[in-house]
Amino acid sequence: MHKFLKRNFAGYAFLSPWLIGFFFLAIGPILASLYLSFTKYNVVRPPQWIGLDNYFYMFQMDQRFWKALQVTFTFVTVSVPLKLMFALFVAMALDKGIRAIGWYRALFYLPSILGGSIAVAILWRQLFNYDGVINSILRLFGGDGPYWLSDPKYSLWTLIVLAIWQFGSPMLIFLAGLRAIPQELYEAAEIDAAGPVRKFFAITVPLLAPVIFFNLVLQMIEAFKSFSGAFIISGGTGAPLDSLLFFTVYLYNEAFSFLRMGYASALAWVLLLIIAAFTAIAFWTSKYWVHYENERG
Amino acid sequence: MGKFTRRTFLSVTGSAIALSAMPRLAFAEDTAVRHFWWGNPERDKRTFAVIDIYNSKNPGVKVSGETLGFADYFTKLTTQIAGGNMPDVIQQGYGVLFEYIANGAVVPLDDYVGKSLDISKMDQSAIDAGTVDGKFYALSIGANSHMAMYNTRLFEEAGVNIGETFDPYAYTYDQLKDIAKAIKDATGVAGTDDNTADYQNFSDFTVQKGANLYNEDGSYGPTQEIVEEYWSTWGSIRDAGGTPPGPESAALAGVSELSQLGVVTGKSAMTYLWSNQLVGVQGLMQDTLGAAVYPNTPDMIPGSVIQPSQFVCLTRDSANPEAATAYMSAFVNDLDMTKVLGLERGIPSNADVRAALEPDLSPAEKVSVDFFDKIQGKTAALPAPPPAGAGEVEQTFERLAVSVLLGERSIPEVATDFLNQAKAILARA
Repeated sequence: MHKFLKRNFAGYAFLSPWLIGFFFLAIGPILASLYLSFTKYNVVRPPQWIGLDNYFYMFQMDQRFWKALQVTFTFVTVSVPLKLMFALFVAMALDKGIRAIGWYRALFYLPSILGGSIAVAILWRQLFNYDGVINSILRLFGGDGPYWLSDPKYSLWTLIVLAIWQFGSPMLIFLAGLRAIPQELYEAAEIDAAGPVRKFFAITVPLLAPVIFFNLVLQMIEAFKSFSGAFIISGGTGAPLDSLLFFTVYLYNEAFSFLRMGYASALAWVLLLIIAAFTAIAFWTSKYWVHYENERG
Repeated sequence: MGKFTRRTFLSVTGSAIALSAMPRLAFAEDTAVRHFWWGNPERDKRTFAVIDIYNSKNPGVKVSGETLGFADYFTKLTTQIAGGNMPDVIQQGYGVLFEYIANGAVVPLDDYVGKSLDISKMDQSAIDAGTVDGKFYALSIGANSHMAMYNTRLFEEAGVNIGETFDPYAYTYDQLKDIAKAIKDATGVAGTDDNTADYQNFSDFTVQKGANLYNEDGSYGPTQEIVEEYWSTWGSIRDAGGTPPGPESAALAGVSELSQLGVVTGKSAMTYLWSNQLVGVQGLMQDTLGAAVYPNTPDMIPGSVIQPSQFVCLTRDSANPEAATAYMSAFVNDLDMTKVLGLERGIPSNADVRAALEPDLSPAEKVSVDFFDKIQGKTAALPAPPPAGAGEVEQTFERLAVSVLLGERSIPEVATDFLNQAKAILARA
């Protein structure tokens, strides 16, 4: 044990901010929320043990819970693949020897830094307002834009676009992955007269599969947890007509608008289990489509 | 680079822990009082100025102010209750107040009355409104009523004659429809906001219809007929072109920032708020606002109440209740301070303060006082405090009304849905 610690000390030292944070700040509240999920707790009065009632209510009575799941699943299943495709597309464009590539990379990464912020959510609201920039442009071309944000048919799409716009971090990872693909493979394919489409599907995609998988898992978890955009654009309530009722927004509402901390904790644990299940499914399917270079097959 | 040994690691983290564990050096500190309120730019400016006055008059006490918009205020307060670090003095509204009293977050003031807290000049009605089960909890900082605010320039341009074609103190929804349409035709601006998703107007309408929001047993008062009639009344004004289009009103459902209001952004000529908000809204506008009551049905049964709009309360977490109540006392009695506060939070409940304010009222404040004089005797009785869950019923109303505004579902269907959900919410609360 002592030897082990000595050898790996540097590693743990670098991990220490995270480890300290986890053990001293995170684990307590996490366990507390598990306990609270079996209680009725309105913050002011002490928690009252009610067993599985919160979970029964959630699955049997709570229509907004199912609505929140539906909105969140739609968001995840639409935004994640589109975002990954877009990120891969941009990464491949940047992979060509363009001058000042560093600048472009930084530029394209910028939305990822800004995108999660409150400021950008507010900006988004301005862009998609009925009298906002998007509709002004549409009017220049003679169209009349819809009420993007107050019509439940469109509101979720504005957030999907916002999510896709934050393609920076998967793009950078793709770029690194593309650099790692040996050029000889493409040269050999060209000699065999393969076109760009063929090269993409026969070389790029299979060799990039581990990177695609990594990005997929990361972005999926991110999307399930998405909060600030929907919170700001819907004014905190999931409006219009609960079309922006992301799971996290619903959870926040139950906790802080209606002071049902016990129920909100139960919701949080259900979200955790959903994310864990989807991640497990992704890992399980990866056996069939992700192959690592050093594997002997 | 030198080796990062375990010893250096331990000494660094050790000293960091030691540092954080050390108590802050004790200076000869002033008695601190924290005052937290929800506000708007105008209110915040005035309240911070009042805090400065108090601090300069009372060396040894340091009042500090914290403010948030209404939407975030109670969220913050909730986390502070949980954390046991509520400010000493908090602002409360009629309604939510009772939940805080029931939960013990707000404590009685009786021990301080006549000592640090002077309520000898307060109106008895204001004291009664802050009293629950014989204990005095909440100090009224202004009375209030429902007020419709209209853009006088747009009304004039459309030839709407105040007092003749439009009586601001008695007009029906049908008359409102004609006026709103005339304004739209003449100026291109919608004559009125669409209140389909406005719970305040709905509560007013319910009382006009002879019902109450909550029955004595705490069950929900409005009937299927009342909900349907309310939505179809506004629907007919909307269909006549008197309001902004449905989706536009839907975007404003539940929005509480004054700057987003149609009267401020130039999209509507009339809006419906609380009377004390006139000063704040006027502060955001060039055109002059006039004051009116809410529209009524032909029966003209009063639907609005006069009630304390806001209170200051002492919290469970206050470490210096004497200093805090002394500050609260000055907040409602000190003439230098109340002069700065003016009528922004409503009509003061202290007669001396009202008299002292009279000569220096701003035009908007004059309109407000005049309005208050005119509605005396024309308002409904103060209802019993709303039950737990009332806030959620209100949010549900706003949410479902949006589908009426968007024309997605029929009015009867949404009304049934709403009443069922309201019942379920009250049962669960």
